[in-house]
Amino acid sequence: MARAVDVPAPSLRQRPWVRRAAPLLLVVLLAVLPLVLPESTNETLARIGVFAVAVLGLNVVMGYTGQVSLGQIFFLGLGAYITGYGVQQDWNVVLVFLLACLGAALAGLVVALAAARLGGLAIAMVTIALPIVGVPLAKRLSDYTGGSQGLSARFADAPEATGLYDDQWQLYVVLVIGGIVFLLTRSLVRGKFGRAFAIVKGNEAVAASMGISPYRYKVLAFTIASLIGGVSGFLYMFVIQYTSPETMSFGHSIELVAAMVIGGAGSIVGSLLGGAYYVLVPELTNQVDSSLTALLQGVVLLAVLFVLPGGLASLVRRLGRGRRRLRAEPGPGASPTTPLSTAGSATATEEPGTERRGHA
Amino acid sequence: MGTFVQLVVDGLSAGSVYAAIALAIVLVHSATGLINFAQGGMAVLSVYIAWWLTTRGVPLIVALLVSIVFSIVFGALVERFLMRRFERGDPDTAVVVTIGLLTLITGVAGWLWTYNNQQFPSLFSLDTVSFLGVSVSQRSLGTTAVIVVVMVALQALFIGTKLGLALRAVANNPESAAFSGLPVGRLLMVGWGLAAALGAVAGALVAPQLTLTPGMLDNALVYALAAVILGGLTSPVGVVVAAWLIGVLENLAAVYVPFIGYDLKVAVPFILIFVVLLVRPQGLFGRKTVVRV
Repeated sequence: MARAVDVPAPSLRQRPWVRRAAPLLLVVLLAVLPLVLPESTNETLARIGVFAVAVLGLNVVMGYTGQVSLGQIFFLGLGAYITGYGVQQDWNVVLVFLLACLGAALAGLVVALAAARLGGLAIAMVTIALPIVGVPLAKRLSDYTGGSQGLSARFADAPEATGLYDDQWQLYVVLVIGGIVFLLTRSLVRGKFGRAFAIVKGNEAVAASMGISPYRYKVLAFTIASLIGGVSGFLYMFVIQYTSPETMSFGHSIELVAAMVIGGAGSIVGSLLGGAYYVLVPELTNQVDSSLTALLQGVVLLAVLFVLPGGLASLVRRLGRGRRRLRAEPGPGASPTTPLSTAGSATATEEPGTERRGHA
Repeated sequence: MGTFVQLVVDGLSAGSVYAAIALAIVLVHSATGLINFAQGGMAVLSVYIAWWLTTRGVPLIVALLVSIVFSIVFGALVERFLMRRFERGDPDTAVVVTIGLLTLITGVAGWLWTYNNQQFPSLFSLDTVSFLGVSVSQRSLGTTAVIVVVMVALQALFIGTKLGLALRAVANNPESAAFSGLPVGRLLMVGWGLAAALGAVAGALVAPQLTLTPGMLDNALVYALAAVILGGLTSPVGVVVAAWLIGVLENLAAVYVPFIGYDLKVAVPFILIFVVLLVRPQGLFGRKTVVRV
């Protein structure tokens, strides 16, 4: 029954019917949940989805390819600005989505072409500039970005035919787009490109000797990460409906890196956990004492690096192995649903109207 | 012409601050092979110590000396109890550790002293002096002079003393250094302490101008990293020249290139990097590193 030698724990989830039924169950669960959960939970989940996608992008370049990027938030901001501008100009939403992805990917490509030329930590040293240049740049280009006041765009109202509340509609869209991005990324990192990324991460000289150009794969990984950042920017605008230069501040960029490491570098589940961390923890610390937020973030990050280098995802894995009772594949949609009854207002988000809107 | 000279002198003074932080980064990198993104944050912490002492009535110069001693001890402790574990491992993890440290220090400073801007007293008066018919500010001249003196002293320490020789030996090859009986761990602590002190001097010199906040040196860190990239990680002289170049060019660009202006001048070093990287990937003065498999 144990399928292959490389499977660490031949458990319940190796059985064929579990493997087939579990994703189905998960899809059904995700389809039903938004309908039954309260509005505030739906909104929190949608925000977690947005940042899980952003963390996933960071994971592609940093977790899987081993290139420290401190500028991922810039691509989220860029995607959000392109989306906001496109929506204000009344462009087709699909076109806006594509432009947000392509714009971010193109920017990422240009940065990577230069940064990846230097070995070692140069990508980290160059990308740290992205948020620091991005904020004044966004303020300067006020004709397109609305300057310091930011840009708001309302295009996430539920279509009449669906009969959904807005928060449900937003969560569904995030689940579908985010789910697709997670599935595609999972295939990417488990396939040919993922193996190439892993070799570049492990040893560049070995990679080069095997005919894998470290330079090209670094550029590729960075571009894909930026593209995913653009997607998360679109989703950000869809859910939060407002962006300002503050969205891509240096602090948020660092928080995103922290979220990725704490969730688990080089892990799909870790990206989800990282997204949840990014959204939930500042909410919790703000309730205790908002001036303590940065301090606690630093303590948690250092503690995780010392005690749990694989992040929370490795904890999940270890627990699962210990109990030998994994109900379902912790696949791309294992939603870390922590039902928080707190009305969220943290991490650069604007509360949409308090009244539940929609057509139900 | 007067404006031009004033801009160049101001640029040199700003560049000296970047140079000091960049040199601290190079010092740590040559000893431990990692980039310390918390270098600016550590400097800010010691400037806060100095500021706190001055609000308690301690004279400025004493407060500065105390803060420099503090930063030497703090840098050594950070090396011993935080970085030691990650030094010979994956450099990317070590970088994330320094980012965690930066977050932590910013958090501690913000928690203890709030995120509001604090006025930090200046060592030099704001008056200008006339020099060959143009007037330049004493603060810019003083900042540049202090940092040049510190850099020369540091160079003398590295080249002319036994401690410097030992530090260079550890940076060059820790295993062989340990074989010849050098206390590698303690020397690494000294290296980190010196780097932190260098940062503290730079922070104290630039604080009156920027006003003291927990994120005061974030931008300076970015400039310093740009200088490190441009100058090459292996070349202290190159890093200093690159930092001055950046300081002068950004000041000139802010005034003479209308699109850039004061708000976007932080982009200047990166435009410079793009151009340089396309021509000389090893930096202006760096050596090409050859990796042995």
